[in-house]
Amino acid sequence: MAKDASSGTTSLVSRPVVVEGEISGEENLHVDGRVKGIIRLAGDLFVGTSGVVEAEIDARSIVIQGAVTGKVLARRQLEVHPSGRFNGEATAASYEIRQGAVFEGVSRMLGSKSQTEKSAVPAAPELKK
Amino acid sequence: MGMFAKDKSENAASGAARSDSDTAFFGAKLSIKGKVTGSGNLIVMGKLEGEVDLAGEIVVAAPAVLNGEIRAVTLAVSGNVTGTLTAGEKIHLEKSAVVSGRMNTPRLSVVDGATFNGEVEMKKPVDGAASAKRTEKK
Repeated sequence: MAKDASSGTTSLVSRPVVVEGEISGEENLHVDGRVKGIIRLAGDLFVGTSGVVEAEIDARSIVIQGAVTGKVLARRQLEVHPSGRFNGEATAASYEIRQGAVFEGVSRMLGSKSQTEKSAVPAAPELKK
Repeated sequence: MGMFAKDKSENAASGAARSDSDTAFFGAKLSIKGKVTGSGNLIVMGKLEGEVDLAGEIVVAAPAVLNGEIRAVTLAVSGNVTGTLTAGEKIHLEKSAVVSGRMNTPRLSVVDGATFNGEVEMKKPVDGAASAKRTEKK
């Protein structure tokens, strides 16, 4: 259903859904709904126009078209599109902030002296059978 | 698309193709710990620990492993669930389903081969999003 040939599967938090807690995984995530808590992905995070994310994020690439508040780490790139609103602390290897985007907070370059070390993406928790 | 980004943001743009779908999808390699609420439908193939209260249909497909309290209008299970399942309309266990715990549902169907260990109670639901969506009576 949500298969993406180039970079793995993309999961979806659809518009009427709210997730509160910790999301982690080896895939990509598309948020059109609300997420509050922690997001740790080995893949990319895409926050759609209706998406509202209040979280600590650790992902490969992050694309923001909705609202994101929190402390984020984009190991590859952080993109804020014209409809996007970012509020918080960002650390990324590269930035792309398009005209019209809202970016309020701190931006740091990944690997620079001003950036604190963040842990690597943890393995998915093992649940009892 | 991707005029400025070096690698055409193909990874990032892949998410753009999928939008405005009301069915949530938690893939096999996704793990969620916490609470999932709302409406619409959900397909889970990964790990979920906690609470789900959805005014819609939930499909738990293998290799999903769920642990906790799951409430929905209908539940179709072919993965692994431990905990409490409450449905407003019905629960369906497929051949590969392994369910441990409690099920509350007015209607139940179990395919030969499904594994269920626990208690079933079949009466009208008490509370939660599941009961709000009940359209059929009798």
